[in-house]
Amino acid sequence: MNFSVPHRRISRRRFLRQGMSGAAAVTALRLTRPTGSAASSQDNPFAYDLDRYRKVDPKLVHYERVGRFRCPQPEVRRLALGPEGRLYVAAAKYVTILDRAGTPAGDIACPAAPRAVAVAEDLIHVAFKNQVALYDGKGQRTAQWEPPPGRPFLTGIAVGKNDVFVADAGNRVVLRYDRSGKLIGRIGEKNRERNIPGFVVPSPYLDVEIAPDGLLRVNNPGRHRVEAYTFDGDLEAFWGKPSASIEGFCGCCNPINLALLPDGRCVTFEKGLPRVKIYGADGAFECVVAGPEAFTDTGKEKSVMDADTGAHGLDGVVDAAGRIYVLDLVAGDIQVMQRKANV
Amino acid sequence: MDAPQPKPNPGVTRRQFLHGGMRAAALTGLGGLLGVVSWRSTAGTMVWQLDPQKCLRCGQCATACVLEQSAVKCVHAYAMCGYCQLCTGYFEPEPNDLNTGAENQLCPTAAIKRAFVEDPYYEYTIDEKLCIGCAKCVEGCNRFGNGSLYLQVRHDRCLNCNECSIARVCPADAFRRVPVEHAYLSKQIAH
Repeated sequence: MNFSVPHRRISRRRFLRQGMSGAAAVTALRLTRPTGSAASSQDNPFAYDLDRYRKVDPKLVHYERVGRFRCPQPEVRRLALGPEGRLYVAAAKYVTILDRAGTPAGDIACPAAPRAVAVAEDLIHVAFKNQVALYDGKGQRTAQWEPPPGRPFLTGIAVGKNDVFVADAGNRVVLRYDRSGKLIGRIGEKNRERNIPGFVVPSPYLDVEIAPDGLLRVNNPGRHRVEAYTFDGDLEAFWGKPSASIEGFCGCCNPINLALLPDGRCVTFEKGLPRVKIYGADGAFECVVAGPEAFTDTGKEKSVMDADTGAHGLDGVVDAAGRIYVLDLVAGDIQVMQRKANV
Repeated sequence: MDAPQPKPNPGVTRRQFLHGGMRAAALTGLGGLLGVVSWRSTAGTMVWQLDPQKCLRCGQCATACVLEQSAVKCVHAYAMCGYCQLCTGYFEPEPNDLNTGAENQLCPTAAIKRAFVEDPYYEYTIDEKLCIGCAKCVEGCNRFGNGSLYLQVRHDRCLNCNECSIARVCPADAFRRVPVEHAYLSKQIAH
């Protein structure tokens, strides 16, 4: 049998063309550097290992996601719930108003980046970095309060019947104003005589909420705890401990934000390991609303789990029915969490 | 009248072809030489540096440098630091206690020193002789804290290789040449 392969002739032009494309391919390969996959964290002998904390025991998760929607504005920061049930998102240089299904209902253009927002009756209280401004329902600015003294960095605001409480992370204090904007008290400053250790705020996250028991709840992130104060500034109670395990507050400074359920239980929001958890009014750990795994499928290049300092974190509010709306600062979306029927 | 004869195609003689080819080769060579000379002269005024905004803390700075102990070191932007009692750049994610016990420390070479300032603040400093540039502390600081710890190429150690062996493997393309007058890419407070 003859197995000789037939001789294929190739033209000079074709030979040159193929040669040149081959050379181009080799050059391109050489110019392409080894990338990400070669240096994955699995190959890193010095990896900062948080794997065991990335998943939460499913038995501890008592909430499930029943909705999710994206905020129309970028750079989302804080979330508030209006008395009419609408959501107010501080984002970019706007306060964006959404209904509870996520449908945009309007924007209030702001002169600077809003850092926190709270709504009472028809008045929208917006905290900027160094002062508070009030807007009416039509988005018109009706008042602007005097900037607090020192180096303010306002990060939280809560409105009561007669008072407005503003968390100032820059000066590590909660400022008490009357509804006209007159400063009438300073809460939480270090005071040995009143047995107040003071807020420790390594990064600008200080929040304040008014609880149904008539006390304020303020996070003290550097001390990894939540503190309860009277309106006059007496420290009544505190709870919380530092720990990466689920019962504690992880990292250097957590929780970063708070929300309260209608019965007074406390919802805490953490950064670093993004976690939303519920503690009883006495500080006993109760359950998880959303663990780190709830924030990975965002469709973005980076999730809040992997984002660097500055743009990471969570915030949230609770509606009258006990649903928790969780704002993801990296994904720029809101997840609606509802208690599971069988727990 | 006879029809005009078509002009003969002058073509290219072998001699002309060789002449032209040699001239082109000489010009190409000269261009290349000029390129090398200019690159060499620039290389003297440019040094390698790592952009902390791009760094992924992959750990390869510790292992890919041609030096036995990497020229990349952790540096500290004190103005950004929270002086935390529980510094996540200093402590393991779940330390037994918040003290200087070796079992609590994150750094594999104990290159970070912790000193009490006032309750509850502590200062953290890097011992560069011990630091291997592994970025474990940088990851801890960036993940939970303000990101005040970051990596930089230290030019008292760096050999300024023509082709930096860390830059070759850097998954983030964080290495680049910078003018020697601005040899460090410092981190600053963003707000």
